[in-house]
Amino acid sequence: MTADAFLFWFLAFVTLASGLSVILMSNPIYSALCLAMTMVGISALFVTLNAFFIAGVQLIVYAGAVMVLFTMVIMLFDLKKDVQAFTKGKFTGAVKIASVGLLAGLVVGAIAMSVSLMGEKTTDNPVMVGTGMETTKALGNILFSKYIFGFEALGVLLLVIAVGAVALARSKGGTHEH
Amino acid sequence: MGMGKDIFEITVNGLKLVVIFLMMVQMVPILVWLERRGSAFIQDRLGPNRVGPLGLMQLLADAVKFLTKENFVPDTAKPFLYYAAPVFALIPGAVAFSAIPMSSPIQVGTFEMFGSTWGPYTFLVQGYEIGVGIVFILGVSSLAAYTLLMAGWGSGNKYTLMGALRASAQTISYELALGLSIVGVIMLYGTFNLTEMTLAQQGPLSFTFLGNNVTASWLPNWGIFYQPLAAILFFSAAFAESNRLPFDLAEGESELVGGFHTEYGGFKFNMFFIGEYGHMMIASGLMVLFFFGGYTIPYVSVAELNEWAASVTSTAGKASALVALIHFLAFNVKFAFFMWVFIWVRWTLPRFRYDQLMDLGWKTMLPWALANTIITAFVIYIASL
Amino acid sequence: MPLGGVIFIVIFIALFGAFLVWLAANITGTKPVYNPVKYEPYECGIPGIEKKETKISVKYYLTAILFILFDIEIIFMYPWAISFREFISTGGGAFVFISMMVFIAIFIFGLFWEVKSKALEWD
Repeated sequence: MTADAFLFWFLAFVTLASGLSVILMSNPIYSALCLAMTMVGISALFVTLNAFFIAGVQLIVYAGAVMVLFTMVIMLFDLKKDVQAFTKGKFTGAVKIASVGLLAGLVVGAIAMSVSLMGEKTTDNPVMVGTGMETTKALGNILFSKYIFGFEALGVLLLVIAVGAVALARSKGGTHEH
Repeated sequence: MGMGKDIFEITVNGLKLVVIFLMMVQMVPILVWLERRGSAFIQDRLGPNRVGPLGLMQLLADAVKFLTKENFVPDTAKPFLYYAAPVFALIPGAVAFSAIPMSSPIQVGTFEMFGSTWGPYTFLVQGYEIGVGIVFILGVSSLAAYTLLMAGWGSGNKYTLMGALRASAQTISYELALGLSIVGVIMLYGTFNLTEMTLAQQGPLSFTFLGNNVTASWLPNWGIFYQPLAAILFFSAAFAESNRLPFDLAEGESELVGGFHTEYGGFKFNMFFIGEYGHMMIASGLMVLFFFGGYTIPYVSVAELNEWAASVTSTAGKASALVALIHFLAFNVKFAFFMWVFIWVRWTLPRFRYDQLMDLGWKTMLPWALANTIITAFVIYIASL
Repeated sequence: MPLGGVIFIVIFIALFGAFLVWLAANITGTKPVYNPVKYEPYECGIPGIEKKETKISVKYYLTAILFILFDIEIIFMYPWAISFREFISTGGGAFVFISMMVFIAIFIFGLFWEVKSKALEWD
C-alpha cells in the first residue's frame, strides 16, 4: 500500500467514524465536536486531492459553522432532559426509521450515480490539475464570468439569512428571554 | 512539496519538522522570561533575577514545578475533554507555524556518502510549503476556538464556560476583520503563497502608477507602504485572536477568575500558554511576511545577496547556506520586534470592556477593512489604466 | 508522500510531544489525595450555588451566526482578489470591479442593517 492510499483510507476512516459518532452520541455537545472533526477530515481529504483553497475554505467556513451549532447547543439545551427527548418516545422512533430509510436511499443513489461516472475521464476539468494557486485562479475566473449572477444572488441570500437570524433572536417569549 | 524522493531527503525533512516544532515550544519559556523581565522593566521593578544569571534558569525551575504538580480532574469535569483540550491547543499553532517560510531555501549539491552518490537537494527553511499559505493558516488557526470551548465546557464550571464563550465570540468576531484586512494584501501581491509575497518585497520601493515608474530608493519595498491601514487592522485583530491584552476578556480576573482555564493547573495549563504564544508567533510571522518584507534584507534584493555570497564562498551549496543564514537572522530580528510589541502592549494598555470590544470589532474594524478593500481595488484598477 | 501527509506528521509530532509531557508529569507528579472540597468546581471561597447549567445570552448565538454569514462573503473575495490583476490585464477589469462592488454594497447594507437593528449591541 502506498503512502497515498494509506492516507486516503486513514482519513476516510476518521471522517466516516466521526460522522457516525455525530448521530450515535447521546450528548449533543459531543455530537457537535464530532461534526467539527468530520469537517476537519473532509478538509484533509481535499488537501490530499490538491484542492488546497477548498480545504482552507472548508476549515474556515464549515468548522466555523459548527461553532454556531456548538454555541446553540450550549445555549438552548438543558442537557439532561434533552438527552432523553432524543433517545425515547414513539415520535423519535419514527424519525429514526425514516432517517435510516432516507440514508439507505442516499447510499444506493450515490452508488448508482457514481458507477456511471467511474469510467469517465476527469483530467480535462481545469480545476482538478495543478497546485493551490492555479485552482484558485480557475475558480475566480469561472466565478466571475460564468456564475456571476449566482455570485450576486448569494450576497442577497446571505443578507436575507442575516435578517432572519436577527429577527428570530429578537422575538419575544420562549425560555431565553433576554 | 512532499517529503522527498530518497531516504536522505526524507530524513532531513522529518528532522526539520521536529526542529520547527521544538523551536515553537522552546521559544515559549524564553518569551515568558522576556515577558516577566519586560513587564518588570516597564513597571520599574526587577522581575525574576534569583535563579541563574539574569533569572534565566527561572524557566527551567518553572518547567520542573509544572511537571511535579498534582494531576487531578475536578468531579464535575468530563475527563476526556478536560485532557484533550490542552493537547488540541498545541496542534493549530504547530501546524500553522510550520507553514511560515523563515529563510530562503538551502541548496545541497551532489556528494558521496555510504558508498553512493546523493543527488542535489533543495531544503526549504519551513516545515512545508503550501500554495494557498494564507487561507490554510487562517483556516487552521480558526480551529483554536474549539479548544477554548472544549476546555470551558469540559471543566464543568460556570466560570470556565462563560470565559470560553466570551473568548470564542471574541475570536470569531475579530476573525472577520483579520480575514478582510488581508484581501487588500492578496490583491497587492496577486498570490496566496507566502514565499512569493516575500520575494515581491525585495529591493527599494518601486511601483508603476498610470504608466510611470515610481522609485523611492530611501524606502524598502515593503507591504506596509502600500497597505498601512491593513497592517494596523491586521495587527490589532491578531491581538484579539490570540486573546492578549487589551483584548483578554476571556480571563477578566474580577468577573471570571481565570476564564476558560480556571480549572487547569500544572502542565495542562502550560499547554494553553504554549498555544497562546503560538498564536502570537504566527501573528508576528504573518505580520513580517505581509508588511515587512519577510526574510529579505531591506534595500538589498535576493539576487544581489546571492551574488555577494557566491563571491565570498567556494561552492554554490555554501553560498546558499550563507544566504539562508543571513535571511534567517533578518527574519528573526523582525519577528522578535513584533513579539516584543505584543509584550509591550500588554503591559501598557488597560483591558477593554466587553461591549467596547465587540463594538470595536464589528462597527469600527470591519467597516475600515471593507474601505481598505474597496480603495485598494480602486487604486490598482486606476493604476493599471 | 503528498503534502497532506506532511501536515499529518506535524500533528503527530505535536501529539507525541504532548504524550511525552503527560508521561513525564505522571512519573514525576505527586499522587493526588482525594478531598471532596478540592474536587469541587472552582468558586471564589464560597460553596458553589449555581451549577454549570447557567443560562447563556442569546447574543453569543447571534454573534456566531452573523460571523458565519459575513465569513462566507469574505471567503468569496479571496478568489476575486487573487485574479483581479489578471482580469485587468485581460480587459475584464471594469466588469469584475463593478460586480464585486455590487457584492460589497450588499455586504455594507447588511452590516448597516445589523448595526441599526441593534443586533450587535452588548449591554
